[in-house]
Amino acid sequence: MASKSDLLQGTLDVLVLKTLSAGPMHGWGISQRIQQWSEDVLEVNQGSLYPALHRLEEKGWIAAEWGNSENNRRARFYSLTRSGRRQLAEETENWERFVAAVGRVLAAAQ
Amino acid sequence: MLRRIAGSLGNLFGGRREKELDEEIAFHIEQETKKNVARGMAPDEARRQALVQFGGVEKAKEETREAGRAMLFETILQDVRYGWRTLRQSPGYAAAAILTLALGIGANTAIFSVVHGVLLQSLPYGGGDRLVRVRVDAPGAGVENGHFAVPEIQDVRNLSRTLEGVVEYHSMYFVLLGGSEPQRVQTGVVSANYFDTLGVTPVVGRTFLPGEDKKGAEAVLVLSYSYWMRAFGGDSSVVGRVFTMNDHPHTVIGVLPPIPGYPEDNDVYMPVSACPFRSDPSMENNRQMGMMEVFGRLKPGVRFEAARSDLASVAARMAHDHPSDYPASAHLSLVPVSLREEMTRQARPTFLLLFGTVGLVLLLACANVANLSLARLVRREKEMALRSALGAGKGRLTRQLLTESLLVSLTGGLVGIGIAAAGRGLLVHFAKRFTPRAPEISVDVPVLIFSLAVSLAVGIVLGLLPALSPKRPLSAALQEGRDASGSTPARLRVRNVLIAAQVAISFVLLVGAGLMLRTLWKLSHVDTGFRTEHVLTAHLALNFTRYSNREQRLAFQDQLLERLSGEPGVRSLALAGNFPLNEGGPSNGQYEVEGRPAASPDQKPRADFQRVSADYFATIGVPVLRGRALANSDRYEAPIVAVVNDHMARHVWPGEDPLGKRIRVETDRDKFTWIPIVGVVGDVRQYSIADAPLDQVFLSIRQFPGLGSLLIRTDGDPRRLERSVRAAVHAIGPEQPVDRIRTLDEVRAGALDTPRLTATLLLLFASLALAITATGIAGVIGFSVGQRRQEFGIRMALGALPGTVRAMVLRQGMRQVAIGLALGLAAALVLTRLWSSLLYEVSPTDPPTFLVVAVMLLGVAAIACLIPARRATAVDPMVALRG
Repeated sequence: MASKSDLLQGTLDVLVLKTLSAGPMHGWGISQRIQQWSEDVLEVNQGSLYPALHRLEEKGWIAAEWGNSENNRRARFYSLTRSGRRQLAEETENWERFVAAVGRVLAAAQ
Repeated sequence: MLRRIAGSLGNLFGGRREKELDEEIAFHIEQETKKNVARGMAPDEARRQALVQFGGVEKAKEETREAGRAMLFETILQDVRYGWRTLRQSPGYAAAAILTLALGIGANTAIFSVVHGVLLQSLPYGGGDRLVRVRVDAPGAGVENGHFAVPEIQDVRNLSRTLEGVVEYHSMYFVLLGGSEPQRVQTGVVSANYFDTLGVTPVVGRTFLPGEDKKGAEAVLVLSYSYWMRAFGGDSSVVGRVFTMNDHPHTVIGVLPPIPGYPEDNDVYMPVSACPFRSDPSMENNRQMGMMEVFGRLKPGVRFEAARSDLASVAARMAHDHPSDYPASAHLSLVPVSLREEMTRQARPTFLLLFGTVGLVLLLACANVANLSLARLVRREKEMALRSALGAGKGRLTRQLLTESLLVSLTGGLVGIGIAAAGRGLLVHFAKRFTPRAPEISVDVPVLIFSLAVSLAVGIVLGLLPALSPKRPLSAALQEGRDASGSTPARLRVRNVLIAAQVAISFVLLVGAGLMLRTLWKLSHVDTGFRTEHVLTAHLALNFTRYSNREQRLAFQDQLLERLSGEPGVRSLALAGNFPLNEGGPSNGQYEVEGRPAASPDQKPRADFQRVSADYFATIGVPVLRGRALANSDRYEAPIVAVVNDHMARHVWPGEDPLGKRIRVETDRDKFTWIPIVGVVGDVRQYSIADAPLDQVFLSIRQFPGLGSLLIRTDGDPRRLERSVRAAVHAIGPEQPVDRIRTLDEVRAGALDTPRLTATLLLLFASLALAITATGIAGVIGFSVGQRRQEFGIRMALGALPGTVRAMVLRQGMRQVAIGLALGLAAALVLTRLWSSLLYEVSPTDPPTFLVVAVMLLGVAAIACLIPARRATAVDPMVALRG
């Protein structure tokens, strides 16, 4: 198993937004999807997932709604709002710039 | 509907959050456990791992909560700041809304402070709401709400099984000597345990001790709080001082706290042993000498109904034991009356009516502010649409509007509380006429909570109104080039309904005020039967220890008349026991008509007996209809004669000449004397302007000496004689107080104070309602006219005359007014019945009042429509078209 990385501060938000861009999902599903998509490299600290979800909801980037899960249990489903979608685009761009910059710095140092 | 509002509020402010969060995390753990089980773990282990994985459920919950809380607090602050900014951007709207609500909430706070202070809160006695007054009636003997004699008080004390601390009370005027000048003080004469029964703790010194009301006990006095303040400036060293009353030394032992001036507003209190009347041996066993009131406290656990049947059996026992004093035909009855009800009965209908009135005024104010906000909302629709397009959720926008309206309503509430607090003095003055509890009125914590709750409720309703009203689709709201004429038919309908409702409510309030004004007018135009102008009155109660016998009293009377009759400006003067519209009630003395023996003693007819001097009728302008008035020659040695009023003459001797007829009364001179009627005088309203005349018998004050009042008819201003009156009285009796010097005009005006004040308050609130409604109509019409300026421009460009356009606006506005008027008429026909107990010779559906109010309301509404209509048509069509 590859070593697991802690998420960088602030990146959880963009990951959640990204996950939700594929469609509405409940909290557990979000954490599973992040783990899956990162091929088990990123593991969401689940204790910080829910505060993040509520923060995003307050900011109006995601909306929440009670619905039924795949095995017919009541679950809270989160979905991306229009402004969330815009936020995601913006953050993605920021992230790419950041990664490129870090890459350049690291390359120069070698 | 309510649940919807409550639900959305709960969502807004996080009421349900906690439970949802629990459920959400539980779901997460469950899913994780399932996954672990699928990987082959044992269920317990799977769950444990899931919990470990999650990393502290409580910590996560706390963090989530905090994230929510911080955000919530921040957004609320943001909303408040933003709301404040937008309100400052439209100061006109803000000022109008805040002022309207301030008046509405202020009026409600003020009247609620009265309702709370007088009707709602417990009595300010330790005995509280368990205190009762024992009421005695003997309808068969003409006794209604009568008084107790000493042996009867003993009976109640000994026989009652449901009352404890049975005490007696009566009140008299005595002269208090030893201060800077002789003072006539109203003195409560009470049992030693009177204040213990009530539950009153003195602020200085003590109240009476057991035994201080026994014969031979040293005379002591307790001062009322207000008298202590008034006469001694609140100086505690007054305790221990000795004053002379009734020729005996009396020591002050304590001062009472401020308590209601009930049953009377006494200056001082003394135990029964100190009262020369009450301690007279003849009182002890005489069941006919009723002059006391009786109070008691329900024993613990005793219900009011039990006391009722208990007292009924006490009465039955008394009637059984003393058949000669209480014949079966008298129907003696004893009934407990809750002290609290007793003190507020008179106030209740008026105060509740006022409370209803201000409630309606607040509704009007809300309707107006709602109209203003809806108009403003239309202008803000683009802003709202923009914010919504930028991602603001519906809840967030609603919360924004709610915050703004709460800002307005709470500011209005604060100003309103200020208005109410400033008006407290006036309200206490007003309420004093109805209840001894008036001084308890204050803007205290419960009142503040009430106005805060009202302000919050108003703010929430006004804030959620736009959220509930229909919206236009986003795209339409955002389209450029379209004026913000968001007057969807549905929204216009809401505003029209508000206008109609306002007109209806105003109509009811105006009719109410109108009916009270009509009552006042009727009352002030009642022919009272006497002439009030140029008459001075003064109260003169002879200090009876100094003037204890007939000769002394006669001498004083004669000297006073002689001294004053020489004064310049005196046209005629008279002495009397009492005079019309002064305080007091009918004496209800029994008499017998010659040749018509009564079947039993208690079936003798009754009349109001008055003692007056020779010129009494001339002085107050009562005509002598037949025979003669009383004369100076009707002196003590001469045969007793009587004058009766017209009402009695017609009632007792219908179709006969009453002159020379004889009646018999029990007097202190001869046990029974046949008294001839020598004259008949006109009827007067003796005790109340509203009450019809009653049978009256006038006897000569020289034959039955004893003073009450002095009356002088003067040439010019009667007040100019005030000093001569004082000088004359003091020249004859240096220790004789003379007070309550008033003109008869003032006495008559004073008798109308209560209806005048009620009418004034109702009129004030009704005018407020009319003003609010008028501005509301003008606002709505003005707004819709503003929206249609282009249309009017086109119409006028095509040849419509400004007058035609104005008529069109007027027609449209007046339609709502007419609907409102019809609704108000229907409501008023039902509601004004509530007024009927306050009306005098005016029907609750008095057609002239209804007509005048309708015409006035129509007129004001028409003006309110025309002003904005004129403004619209005054614009040059070309300008309007381009704009």
